[in-house]
Amino acid sequence: MTRRLLSWVAVATIGVAALLYGAIDEGAPRTDADRAYEMAKTIGCPVCRGQSVAESDATVAKSIRASIAIWIDEGRSDAFIRSALVDRFGEAVDYTPSASGVTALVWILPVVGGAGAIAGLFLVFRRWSDEDDLEASVEDRAAVEAARAAVGRDG
Amino acid sequence: MTSESTSHRTLWIVAPVAIVMVLFLVLLATRDGGGTGFISGDIDGQLAPPIVRTTIDGEPFDLDELRGSFVVVNFFQTSCIPCRQEHPELVAFQEQYAPTGVGSVVSIVFDDTEANIRAFFDEFGGDWPIIAEDSLPIAVDYGVPLVPESAIVAPNGIVIRKLIGGVRKSDIEAVMASWLAEQEQPVGTQSESSP
Amino acid sequence: MSNVAMGAIVVALGSAAALTGIGVVALGLAGRRPGWWREARFLVWAMLAASVLAFIIMERALITRDFTVLFVAQNGSTRTSSIFNVATLWSALEGSILLWSVILSGYVAAVLVKFRDRRDDPMLAWAMLTLFVVSAFFFLLMVGPANPFRSFDPPAGFDGPGPNPLLQSHILMAVHPPVLYLGYVGFTVPFAFAMGALATGRVGEGWLLATRRWTVMAWGFLTLGIVLGAWWSYETLGWGGYWAWDPVENASFLPWLTGTAFIHSVMVQERRGMLRVWNLSLVIATFALTILGTFITRSGVLASVHAFSNSPIGPALLGFFGVIVVVSLVLIAWRGEQLRSPGRIDSPISREGAFLANNVLFAAFAFVVLLGTIFPLIVEAIDGRQISVGNPYFERMTMPIGFTLLFLMAVAPVLPWRKASSGVLSDRLIWPAWMGVGAIVFSVIVGARGWAPLLAFGLGGFAGGAAVRQVVLATRRQGVRGFIGRTNGGMIVHLGVVMIAVAFAASSAYVRQEEFLLSPGQTASFAGHELTYVGSDAREFENRSETRASIMINGGQIYEPGIAVYPFAGRNIGIPSVRSTPFEDIALSVQQFPEDTDDVLLRVTIQPLILWLWAGGLIMALGTVLAVVPGARRRPTMPVSAPVPDASLPDAQEEVLT
Repeated sequence: MTRRLLSWVAVATIGVAALLYGAIDEGAPRTDADRAYEMAKTIGCPVCRGQSVAESDATVAKSIRASIAIWIDEGRSDAFIRSALVDRFGEAVDYTPSASGVTALVWILPVVGGAGAIAGLFLVFRRWSDEDDLEASVEDRAAVEAARAAVGRDG
Repeated sequence: MTSESTSHRTLWIVAPVAIVMVLFLVLLATRDGGGTGFISGDIDGQLAPPIVRTTIDGEPFDLDELRGSFVVVNFFQTSCIPCRQEHPELVAFQEQYAPTGVGSVVSIVFDDTEANIRAFFDEFGGDWPIIAEDSLPIAVDYGVPLVPESAIVAPNGIVIRKLIGGVRKSDIEAVMASWLAEQEQPVGTQSESSP
Repeated sequence: MSNVAMGAIVVALGSAAALTGIGVVALGLAGRRPGWWREARFLVWAMLAASVLAFIIMERALITRDFTVLFVAQNGSTRTSSIFNVATLWSALEGSILLWSVILSGYVAAVLVKFRDRRDDPMLAWAMLTLFVVSAFFFLLMVGPANPFRSFDPPAGFDGPGPNPLLQSHILMAVHPPVLYLGYVGFTVPFAFAMGALATGRVGEGWLLATRRWTVMAWGFLTLGIVLGAWWSYETLGWGGYWAWDPVENASFLPWLTGTAFIHSVMVQERRGMLRVWNLSLVIATFALTILGTFITRSGVLASVHAFSNSPIGPALLGFFGVIVVVSLVLIAWRGEQLRSPGRIDSPISREGAFLANNVLFAAFAFVVLLGTIFPLIVEAIDGRQISVGNPYFERMTMPIGFTLLFLMAVAPVLPWRKASSGVLSDRLIWPAWMGVGAIVFSVIVGARGWAPLLAFGLGGFAGGAAVRQVVLATRRQGVRGFIGRTNGGMIVHLGVVMIAVAFAASSAYVRQEEFLLSPGQTASFAGHELTYVGSDAREFENRSETRASIMINGGQIYEPGIAVYPFAGRNIGIPSVRSTPFEDIALSVQQFPEDTDDVLLRVTIQPLILWLWAGGLIMALGTVLAVVPGARRRPTMPVSAPVPDASLPDAQEEVLT
């Protein structure tokens, strides 16, 4: 058992160390073109349905790509570029829904739902394990007995 | 008793699901999907974004130097049909107002070749600055997703209105007239941005 | 007789057969006369004959270029090559509904044959009733709003525009829609049996066992269909990507998510008799989502690049979706008390606990995708704003779910049912854990950086190690049979999923794209590669003219991306060219040949492990096939408490106790 434990410790140490090294070491520097491309992927083309400006061949998509490159060259922040484009072409060009107002719901609902599901599971498991030690309700016990009798299996 | 309590429980689950589904159906049924045609940026009332470029004739151009007169900043492409249709109107506007210094046109080309542009102006007439080099970022500055669009810039350098689609000379004149009318009523507002 | 007349008659006959089928089976059920619904089998054959004939007539019209059929006039042309001419049938709305009907009728007939010994069973009758209703819906679509056999009076010398050029530029387009439809439509069968179970009140495990293989097969086709669609998109659209979280893509992904949840949770019900309502709901949701997905694809209600024009069948599909939801909810509410399942889960650290967690995660995944897809509509309805929800949202929200699922994929296969001891887990997981750590270390050594992709690789290695371990143990014990059966096939599927997950993480983290304006002879350096523009040449074809650029990569092989002009369809499309290696793809696409010059504006996308996506998809399909081959272990009629196949593994003694 202790040898097993040791190998788990080794696994965890090496894994975490490699992960940390990979997360902290920056590797090859990111070029302006990379940044522009990443930005363009998150901006919708105003005239084409459902394509980002990175994908689209529309002239306005080319224009926006050119502008993004210029802004990056001028040293603007991503937030500046994003809001400049929203100012000019409307909120719909921003593929990242804003975290304020009604649109915040799209971020909040899944988190609330997920938390609810986890809490629900937790409660169910606790009820199940309580039943083990304490009394099962008559109803539950009857259901279990009936099922056991029907299936003919023992627990 | 047992069945009653459990069917209550089922109802507690089914009822909210049903409500959500009804809302969902109503939502899908009432959307027409036509909403996202295209979005043109609203820059009315803002200071006109600067345009400092070289025209296709090699002349320097700076929008700020045209302060004091109206400027029609026209975005076009030679292959676009409404652009061809509006062109005579722009020519007429230029011929009427440019000689007296009241207003003029500048054309910003939306992704096109110099040969096409020259052929276009040879065929349809018109003599004003044309900017083709590095013109795409200007379109973004003016929030132009599709051509033709024309921003009408007031003598004080403010965009009065951006007209989307092909323009007529009378449309431009109406915009100019409305601006002039506004300037005469509230007296104080002129001073802030006169040249 | 003309194709239009024959087609109309055949479609009318098919509709009549489906409607009569509904009537006969319903009356038979109402009067408890099994004889009636037994005889309904002739109507199934009539339906199948009608849809196959309609399909043949349409193909004949397309192949002979019979422009008196409006569909052919709109989508066919004399210039389309023969293979794409056949595929033209599913390149537009009416034909795709026709394809849907053929596949559905085929499934209905297959159900009839497969369950011929149970023809008197009311549950089967209810299932047949459901199948007739769904078939009738699609036949009626063909009679009304999506009539493929409208007539047209072609002027002399008329020639059609041909199918959308994008749809005839790659062979995958001929394959992707039928495979996807085999998946979509296949979920009708388990849905029908779920309806049968609810209607008869036999909500136990019978219907599950009856339809298990159908579900897995439909799921496999859907998986393959989605992967082929992504592949097609990557090979033909020239944007360097394969998945954009577009509404239409999400529409195909949603039933896949709920279907995946179902084929896992179904094992809990088989084994422990639990989760009955949940499983029924998942089957119903999966089927309903296929209809909803078709609505989203066809109605144009959401902005999608997969621009099927706004079609008239939107309201019909939405109405049908509503009917499915209402009927299902009423049935579930009515059967609520019987659905209550006995039994409980002893420990969260057990196979069933893992399946439960798996289902919560898949449900959350589906919820996120659905919410993100329709959220712009919700906001528009509330305050009229136009907003978008795009890849940053989906990537951010689904990443934690994906990580947790990968972790579960590693742990769940080695977990015993009921309860696990930490010693057992430690023994079984240490080897996969070393695989995971090895994957991280290897990735760091070859230069991969960033915590998210590295974590994905590590969890991928962990999950892959667990799957390999199971397969190795099974084959050691059973020989070749260790590859077949649900559990073993399932592990092969897991390996495919791991490949796709790793490839997805790698390609989205390390993708690089740039555009280069090159003159002949000029070379661009990008991400360690030299791309030389040799020159361009023009080629004429019957239906298009192409201009191709010759690009030499690293002084070696020449690739020829270009632009094709289809004068009759009035549009230009790109012809990307991709250099694939197992580790890295270089995708080239010509954005433009600027006029007046010999230059080329070239878009270059370099991303790692793209081939793994397609290989992973094929492995998943292969695993699905292995999973539906009957294993050596038991007949489906044997009691559900029979030992699972790995019960006699050397390290699995405690599993035998069940």
